[in-house]
Amino acid sequence: MSASEKIRVAVLGCGQIADAHLSQIQRIKSAEVVAVCDTHLDLAWQAAKRFQIPRFETSFARMIEETRPDVVHLTTPAQTHASLAVELLQAGCHVFVEKPFTLDAQAAREVLSVAVANRKLVCVGHDQLYDPAWLTCKKWVQRGLIGEVQHIESILGYPIDGKFGAQVAGNPAHWVRKLPGGLFQNTISHPLYRITDFMSDVQPEIMGGWRTRPGMNFPTEMSISLQGRNQSGSLTFSTFLPPQRLTRVYGTQGTIDIDFDAQTLRLKSLTKLPGAFAKLEAPWQHVRNSLWNLGNNLWRFSKSDIHYFAGMKHLFQAFYDSIQHGTSPPILPDEIERVTYLMDRIFVHCREQEPRTYRMEETKLLQIPAPENEVSACL
Amino acid sequence: MSVIAFVTGGTGFLGRRLLRTLLARNVHVRCLVRSQSGIDVALKELSPEQQQRLQFVRGDLADPDALESHLQGVDVVYHLAAALNGSCSTMFLNTVVPSRGLMQAAAKAEVGRFVQVSSLGVYGTASLRRWGTLDETTPIDPQSEHRDPYTFSKVRQEAIAWELREQLGLPLVVVRPGVIYGPGRSLLTSRVGLSLGPLLIRMGGGQLLPYTYVENCAEAICLAGLTPGIEGEIINVVDDDLPTGRRILRTLRKNGKTVHSLWVPRPAISPLSALYAWYSRWSEGQLPPVLSWHKSEAMWKPLRYSNRKAKHSLNWRPAISTEEGLNRTIAGLPGNFAS
Repeated sequence: MSASEKIRVAVLGCGQIADAHLSQIQRIKSAEVVAVCDTHLDLAWQAAKRFQIPRFETSFARMIEETRPDVVHLTTPAQTHASLAVELLQAGCHVFVEKPFTLDAQAAREVLSVAVANRKLVCVGHDQLYDPAWLTCKKWVQRGLIGEVQHIESILGYPIDGKFGAQVAGNPAHWVRKLPGGLFQNTISHPLYRITDFMSDVQPEIMGGWRTRPGMNFPTEMSISLQGRNQSGSLTFSTFLPPQRLTRVYGTQGTIDIDFDAQTLRLKSLTKLPGAFAKLEAPWQHVRNSLWNLGNNLWRFSKSDIHYFAGMKHLFQAFYDSIQHGTSPPILPDEIERVTYLMDRIFVHCREQEPRTYRMEETKLLQIPAPENEVSACL
Repeated sequence: MSVIAFVTGGTGFLGRRLLRTLLARNVHVRCLVRSQSGIDVALKELSPEQQQRLQFVRGDLADPDALESHLQGVDVVYHLAAALNGSCSTMFLNTVVPSRGLMQAAAKAEVGRFVQVSSLGVYGTASLRRWGTLDETTPIDPQSEHRDPYTFSKVRQEAIAWELREQLGLPLVVVRPGVIYGPGRSLLTSRVGLSLGPLLIRMGGGQLLPYTYVENCAEAICLAGLTPGIEGEIINVVDDDLPTGRRILRTLRKNGKTVHSLWVPRPAISPLSALYAWYSRWSEGQLPPVLSWHKSEAMWKPLRYSNRKAKHSLNWRPAISTEEGLNRTIAGLPGNFAS
């Protein structure tokens, strides 16, 4: 297609994440949403009404036939991703798949091979790789500000009584509960790809496991360590933490902290001053970081550049550009397969560890009575 | 022969009061619940004899097969269940989609009455002058997609109910309560103002608030299911002697409660809302589009609210006065709060 034509986009699946897709696509001048589709008529209707989309459908085959979109965004439950992606690719559409890409690596490979066979592009919603804070972090790493990356720590706080968590927890029939990796399959790709983006080891060794918090009947907490030959990573998913998306990148010369929610970065270099002077240099670095973040966020606010789903917009734009210019998609097929396979291995590992991990309510301290002679000694 | 009622949302704030009201009228009640939560609280408020006439059935509104069996032999359906918060698509998924299934199942089971509990928020106010009277003849908001997700989902839910009345002969009665308050709910709703951290941004203060005390409202809804000959009717439910925002704040302060607030004069509300909406659009949503001229008029335009039809058709009278309702609600509140 020519670069001057607008990309015609359709969205398949009108649940919560579709709102984010629609609002970000509408910020892209080179794209227009031509239709939305959902098996529930009312869901498709509300999306069309709110985002002023000319057409809503309950049959995706009819939508494709009648609107001929260039790209379809797949925002349906993950169980349907592989089969729908294959059908859409065969119908001649490029496909953007919301994370998780597929239920397992085998299905991911099938989708990717169908894309090659049909000469269409596929991308996955690893949008935080295009978040402005992450892009700045990568720039700093490339400039050598923290030396060689050695370790990446990634945290996702996901309160179980939050907007989406409560729906999953309160409804045993929720589609997320039926995923092979349960709640984690729908959530950990974000903290995981923030690790793999810096990790040269394609498939590191996995340690750790998942646990179930009291009152729940499915695993809710995860702590995983990834050990490669040269680098390591740690992933923490906790429903006890307030919502937060944090990553710390450790290098040989310093660290960078990225807070995606606050849109702040903190660069900490190894102190150069000797002895007690170093204790003054470290707080001075904090002051410099704070001033830089305040200035940066004020500047971005004035340009109206602070958006929760900013990474999504930039990723969509990059994907559409790759379609228009016939270049590689922004998230490469190898990376999609790598993350999906790593998730498969994490879930297999956690299941294998399960008999050895305690449910959290069983970990309370045992009440051991004091030996009789000690009691009488006290008396 | 005793009436059998089927209630959804029966363990919620309003639903528990409706169960009590129905059971006090010797109705047999079948109440749909999704989990154990709320059942114990509901049971605690009932006598042993009333508990015998109450049956909790476990199930999901999204499961049409289960609904069909639960609705066998039912005379009246009271549909209260609705998502109160969440994104718009979540509200539609949890409120509108299952409502369609329930209404279809009710029509198929040939229930005698289907009471849809909607909201007074569904009305548009563009056709009304300042201090005009909002009643059942006021048109529905034609631009409800620009309102809050709850109102938008309620407008759609009602539209489906009327559509199924036409198509399947659903014996529909729609009740549109105002803002329901009572012990356990804050009096400082968005009709009074908007919360901004610890601060309440008071929107005007002299306009009447379409409030209804929870027990008064439950009584009206109960009657909407039991009063003969009102199929196809819409009934608004608000109390007499409606409070203003100013009166609520005064009453709270008189009772020793602290509210930190910032006042926006009534004439400034709509222009400021329009300015905010412009910025939200210009910044492509850097600030969310929560305010607009349209929304502010629907929420804070000074109007009068009629409850004449409820009194006439249902022979309903609000048993709890507004003063008593406010005092009962305040009695259960913590010390200092803004919302």
